[in-house]
Amino acid sequence: MNLPDRTVLGNGAVLVSSSLSSNPFVAFRGSIPAGVAAEGDAHGVAEFTSRLLLSGTRRLGAAKLADRLEGIGATLEFRNGEELLSFTGRCTRDTTRETMRILVECLGQPTFPAREIERVRGELRNDLRIEADDTRHRATRELARLVFPKDHPYGRDPKGGEERVRRIKRRDIVAFHDARVGPEGMIVAITGDVDRTLVEEAIADPLSRLEAEGDGVPAIPPPPAHKPRRVTIPMPHKAQADIAIGGPAVSRRHEDYYALDLANLLFGRIGLYGRLGRNLRDEQGLAYYAFSGLDARTAGGMWALSAGVNPAKLVKATQSIRAELDRLRTDPFSSEEIRDGKDNQIGSLIVSLERNAEVAAELHRMEYYGLGMGFLERYADIVRELRDDRIREVATKYFTPEGSSMVVAGPVGRARPSL
Amino acid sequence: MPTHMETLDNGLKVVLRPIPDTKALSTWVVYRIGSRNEVPGMTGSTHWVEHMLFKGGGKLAKGDIDKIISRLGGKMNAFTDTDYTMYFETIPASAMDTALMIESERMRNAAFDPKEVEAERTVVISEREGAENQPEFAVEEELWGLAFHVHPYHWTPIGYKQDLANLDREPLYRHYLRYYAPNNASLILVGGFDPAVAMQHIREAFSPLRPEAPPDPLRLSEPEQRGERRSDLVRPGPADLFSVGWHIPAASHEDTPALIVLATILGGWRGLIPFAAGDWHSRSNRLYRALVETKLATDVGVRLEVKIDPSLLIASATLASGASLDRVESVLDREVDKLRRTLPARTEMERAKQQLRSWARYEQDGVTFQGILLGAGEGLSSWDFGERLVAQAEKVRPDRVRDVARKYLVEEHRSVVRFHAQESPA
Repeated sequence: MNLPDRTVLGNGAVLVSSSLSSNPFVAFRGSIPAGVAAEGDAHGVAEFTSRLLLSGTRRLGAAKLADRLEGIGATLEFRNGEELLSFTGRCTRDTTRETMRILVECLGQPTFPAREIERVRGELRNDLRIEADDTRHRATRELARLVFPKDHPYGRDPKGGEERVRRIKRRDIVAFHDARVGPEGMIVAITGDVDRTLVEEAIADPLSRLEAEGDGVPAIPPPPAHKPRRVTIPMPHKAQADIAIGGPAVSRRHEDYYALDLANLLFGRIGLYGRLGRNLRDEQGLAYYAFSGLDARTAGGMWALSAGVNPAKLVKATQSIRAELDRLRTDPFSSEEIRDGKDNQIGSLIVSLERNAEVAAELHRMEYYGLGMGFLERYADIVRELRDDRIREVATKYFTPEGSSMVVAGPVGRARPSL
Repeated sequence: MPTHMETLDNGLKVVLRPIPDTKALSTWVVYRIGSRNEVPGMTGSTHWVEHMLFKGGGKLAKGDIDKIISRLGGKMNAFTDTDYTMYFETIPASAMDTALMIESERMRNAAFDPKEVEAERTVVISEREGAENQPEFAVEEELWGLAFHVHPYHWTPIGYKQDLANLDREPLYRHYLRYYAPNNASLILVGGFDPAVAMQHIREAFSPLRPEAPPDPLRLSEPEQRGERRSDLVRPGPADLFSVGWHIPAASHEDTPALIVLATILGGWRGLIPFAAGDWHSRSNRLYRALVETKLATDVGVRLEVKIDPSLLIASATLASGASLDRVESVLDREVDKLRRTLPARTEMERAKQQLRSWARYEQDGVTFQGILLGAGEGLSSWDFGERLVAQAEKVRPDRVRDVARKYLVEEHRSVVRFHAQESPA
């Protein structure tokens, strides 16, 4: 990939672009710091707002908006996250200007019609019910709540819960939108069939029309201390139980990040889920999936592992997970494992950036975390320079049974799995 | 895009799509074997075989495929469908020989170590149990079971749990030997390579492989359905679900392009292989307007299940709290009736075709997605199946949409599954 172009617009929005001429369309990914962290005590309002941005603008009602976008074959989606209101889309070169114009209207001039608010309220309530019936969702959501307690934005349900969904009013949504949704802190990453002319004329020009009127970019508070706990969520009508285990990790800019990312890769990701998958799936056949993930954000992060197992094998599965966590001390990552992991991370630079969506996401990440436009050129050296003992050290520092919470959701019966 | 084809002496069909200036390479092998080739008592065997083909054999020890691809920073996976099974690796283009070696070993030399077969039994059962946790899976399994009484589309590729519990190694291994042969497969390469050089390496890797006798054609065909079939599932769940499937002809049938336009007008289009679509859903279609905008449902979808044999067009809805299944069904019936009675508007036709055109581009996003499209095409008929279908859909006129609605969206040829969600026990 060539060095990306970076442009700062007059209203503060940042455009990052890189051409990927082999993929015959334009893809973009953008964000505004208007996620859960920006809603303060008005829990659920960021999620509610994000779902209403395609529900009508001053120029186009919800139906006309959908007709217009799909009539030119474009896609546009908004999604709420813990830190950001994100948007993604696809269009052709010829329809880029119109797609951007619609994006700007959706962000800058939404009308939040009462009828659509009630539709979204029903959708949110259904989603809450569906998620409450999903073993994996229940386990991972509860784990996040334990790791980031006291209603921290990283730990609470972005929807705010049934009660909040019922109570949120149009004026709450309008107030949140007015204060938080604007060009301040906005990033738009574009790739595919793009060049400088297209960026200037079809993208920068419409985006420049977004006016900065909000309250600025909110700070994200540091996560409160985590007190490890064990929670069981009985769901007797299910066939399979989900286990989620994890604890606090590091922010994206923390000095331990790269070593921890590699340690996580070796523990529960590489190939068929690293050491964890080799033990639970490949050797014992206990689970179809057993993997770990590292989620490093601005003010902190979380490390977690997930496994879906038959309830009769819950105890064996948790014992095996414990054994793998202990093994990080008794049988640390070998030099060969670490070399394989480094080769994987360096090699994946080619393979993980073959799609427009992947490139746009990486460009966005580089800008959001301030990694610099030359990050991809430096990345291989960053990985190569990681010392083996450092990787082993961070694994035993963060991946510990004592420092982790555990949640089991499903048909647990009388089983009391412990870590 | 320029695409080259060649067939080796042993029957392996090779499809090459070089993309200049691309550093990645996606290698796909599609076998014309899926759950439609299974028999009762052996359901799920094709999918189980797929799992076994990551466990070594020949030049590859257990764990080698994983290790080799991981070191390259590559990605790999496999999918078992009703009609075909596909394996892929996407790796740096400089490692082409590695992918070819893995796939040639996988084609004839898989080990099927009895201990590994046994270990994988619980993994595939676990995969099924994970699916069973979702009410949508129960509805899907019920719908296909209801609509097909004779044809193997009666069951889904994951198979029945009792078969997975009872199957032995020997029939699985025989299944593998019978169907995993060069003359029952296509090899697809997409990415940064020179076609002449690639062909030379492909010949070296695959020409020594012996073909098998061609598989017997499937002789089972589903008798015409005479009368609507219905099933009501009453189970714990978070929301009522509604699903209806109408019988449609095989993918190769001349009505398929018009059915694609019809499906797009009714429920929107998300691509032929909806991996590229992700979570995106159309909002300009008739069912969204009739069911979601009116707050009767929170989610709707229409899938044209394009398959080798006659299959289903499925419309489904997740009901909003307080909405009744009867009401949703009557609104859906009304929308289908409109399609049967009235020609779609010109703007609606144009919007549907624009969606088909756009998704044909979006599905070209990178070498892996291009590989899956070409592979699925080979699994159904030919690599260019998708391109031809979109080109044919361009020519569909409004009266053809109305005609296929009248022909296929009829009550006596449909199966209906209604999921009545019961409060979950605490």
